[in-house]
Amino acid sequence: MGRVPLLRAEDAPLLARPFYVDGDPGPIVAVLAHVPELLVVALPFFGRVLGESAVDARTKEIVILRASAVAQCRYCVDAHTLVALDAGLTAEEVRVLRDDAPLAGAFAERERALVAWVDAVAGERGPVAESTAVALRSWFADHEVVELTLLAATTLLLNRLCTALELPSVDATLERLRDCGFGS
Amino acid sequence: MTSVIADAVADGTLSGRVWFYSNYHCNLACTYCLTESAPEVPKRLLSDAAMRTAATQAAALGFTDLGITGGEPFLAPGIVDTLDALTDTLPTLVLSNGTRFTEALVRRMSRLAGRDLAVQVSLDSPDPEMNDAMRGPENFARVVDAIPRLVDAGVRVRIATTATALDPDAAARLCELHRGLGVADADHVVRPIVSRGRGIDHDDAVGVSPENLPPELTITADGAFWSPFGPTVRNGRLDTDLLVTRTTNPLRMPAEELLGLVAGRPPGGDTTMNIR
Repeated sequence: MGRVPLLRAEDAPLLARPFYVDGDPGPIVAVLAHVPELLVVALPFFGRVLGESAVDARTKEIVILRASAVAQCRYCVDAHTLVALDAGLTAEEVRVLRDDAPLAGAFAERERALVAWVDAVAGERGPVAESTAVALRSWFADHEVVELTLLAATTLLLNRLCTALELPSVDATLERLRDCGFGS
Repeated sequence: MTSVIADAVADGTLSGRVWFYSNYHCNLACTYCLTESAPEVPKRLLSDAAMRTAATQAAALGFTDLGITGGEPFLAPGIVDTLDALTDTLPTLVLSNGTRFTEALVRRMSRLAGRDLAVQVSLDSPDPEMNDAMRGPENFARVVDAIPRLVDAGVRVRIATTATALDPDAAARLCELHRGLGVADADHVVRPIVSRGRGIDHDDAVGVSPENLPPELTITADGAFWSPFGPTVRNGRLDTDLLVTRTTNPLRMPAEELLGLVAGRPPGGDTTMNIR
């Protein structure tokens, strides 16, 4: 049940209290609340990078879910399986991104280039292969390349945080995953 | 002094005093102790160097006073040397249970005579039995023995009485007692039992929150808190509900975060519960 306790509302430090006003803020907030001065800068950052932006939600969820699968972050894969479905990805596409189904034949060329980029950013060390970068840049503008790469890197940050601290998936998430056919 | 902290201290938005929890262990285990202090608890020591650094930064930011509490500060290693350094920086108040003042310690304290230093000793009742029931066997005798010796050594002594309700007869006898020990009326404070730590078990304890606690930056080994009534311990676990930041150095960070929290407090929420 996690390597450090999740702080409950009654234990929430003063700077963290606004994150609890609408009820349980979820495991990431409840664990970062141990260091409130980091929580108050990290959460707005995560929200800005992962939330609505110039890049559409479907494209962003491809990055988040794929990076999480490559990093083997159970918590993030659970959570973003649902977010990806909500963003319009099909169940089959989600299975591919989760690495539960083969990539070959899935997605059109633009999104295949993106998946290859994420696989390289999340799964490899050193520079990304020139051919992978060229393929990505043939479909995405410079600012999109930057944003999508920052999104992958931020996802990896969260992946390692959630995995190393063994954050538990939320019960409601697990229940909905089962309803959607993704239960274990 | 031009910092926002200095301005906030000057206009009363923030208390001018910065508190340090030098340690959490204590030779006593009082029934209302906020921190569940006792001989065997984790010490959570704030080092001499950390206190000196924070004191220097506090003065530079515009704070006006220092307070040291615990635990029993006179169990902290090198505490007299620490007090020597801190009183060179800002006026300092150190809280004590008053039971550790051997002749040797009083002699060492005498070198601080004339400094802007006060030792605030706890004494809860003019009746030894009632006092000792809360504070431990022979506490009353040790305290009334130590206070005059500290006064004679040139150390200013204050007396703090922790009692939510003190009947007039007991109050009168207590004041007669402290005057006889060489402690003036102005140096006697009475504050309620607070409903944190072991105080939760007292029916007459008062609840505290940011709405009724003056904001007094409090530095501990575990971080910075809203008030010295913040870093309390219940069932062996540190309370975090009044935590401001884990970062304490540079002191500016928790000071500015505390000021931001105070600015967000509803108007008129500040009170004086006389529980400093």
